[in-house]
Amino acid sequence: MDIATLFWLFAAAFGASMLGGMLGMASGIFIVPILIIAFGVDIHVAIAASIVSVIACSCGSAAPFLKGRLTNIRLAIVLETATTLGAITGVLLIGIIPTPILYGLFAVILVLSAQQMMARRRDPALVVTPDPHSWASRLGLHSTFPDRQLGREVAYQVARVPLGLSLMYGAGVISALLGIGSGVLKIPAMDTALRLPIKVSSATSNFMIGVTAAASGGAYLVRGDIDMNIAGPVALGSVVGALAGARLLMGLPADKLRILFAVILIALAIQMMLSALGIHLWGTGL
Amino acid sequence: MNPLSSKPDRHDGIIAGLLWYGTLIASAVIMTGIILGAVAQIDGAPGLAPTGYALIKLGVVIFVLLPITRVALMLVIFAHARDYTYTAIAALVLAIIGVGVLLGL
Repeated sequence: MDIATLFWLFAAAFGASMLGGMLGMASGIFIVPILIIAFGVDIHVAIAASIVSVIACSCGSAAPFLKGRLTNIRLAIVLETATTLGAITGVLLIGIIPTPILYGLFAVILVLSAQQMMARRRDPALVVTPDPHSWASRLGLHSTFPDRQLGREVAYQVARVPLGLSLMYGAGVISALLGIGSGVLKIPAMDTALRLPIKVSSATSNFMIGVTAAASGGAYLVRGDIDMNIAGPVALGSVVGALAGARLLMGLPADKLRILFAVILIALAIQMMLSALGIHLWGTGL
Repeated sequence: MNPLSSKPDRHDGIIAGLLWYGTLIASAVIMTGIILGAVAQIDGAPGLAPTGYALIKLGVVIFVLLPITRVALMLVIFAHARDYTYTAIAALVLAIIGVGVLLGL
């Protein structure tokens, strides 16, 4: 492959990931549309390449969350049974689902992401006494995390694990089908079904994304679906961009950035929907 | 407070280390591969191109294996702590990933 293309792949992934990192969101959702629209890559190739960058970003950003004791690793491994099962379901489905449906599904997820970008997340009211017979109590999932603002340990309960597991299964299917981390589905599931504090749910979701993506990524890898010349520079660009973005977090007005992102997401959703309908506004391909 | 849930702080550090250094290694391998590919094209040393490609592929494979290794590490940590429920859960996750890979073959 032409080395200039490799460089542009790296640069595009770096840019998308740096902007994403500033808002604490994963860039996977941008990678697939960028590869399709700007580089003229087939949607299936784009999805398989994107899944590698999703793994890379999850692994690259996990350490500070773990060291800050925000990640609930017990809850993560319990939910990973559902996300990985979802992921291999997605691997089985991707060969069957017609390409226009994939485009349409992607458009829907982009719109949901835009909506989530504008919505404010709120910490759930903490339940004081856990039900000793619930799944979460039996599995010992309740935990504490250090709240820097309050300067003390905050205890939290995990609620409705079976509902959380079913939502995570769905998130796993979507992750494998679209080559995204599915944070857009994992975070509401963790906020509303499991009623986790925001910081814990973000950290734990990010931690699980890597394993979920590795389940489908492993299958795509042995299947030979991953184009290394695309996946390599995109994964590298994403990881470096995410790390750079997380450090730039403070400098920019987050609210304006949010609106900009929501607009970009909607524009990409329209483009993907047009592709689903077989309409191409501009020629794809370099 | 459940006493079981507050313990694995020390282990969080080991898992963080695995993921962080794994990411560094995979990224460095991919970057070396891309640079070799660039040198092959610019210098007209086509012998380097296959090595560059092989390194990019190796880096991608390391990335895919990294979270799977993390689950295996958690399995060992839980087994070591004699937490058999969680050892079984970690084994189940590994088994599901294994089935996925077999489906890909």
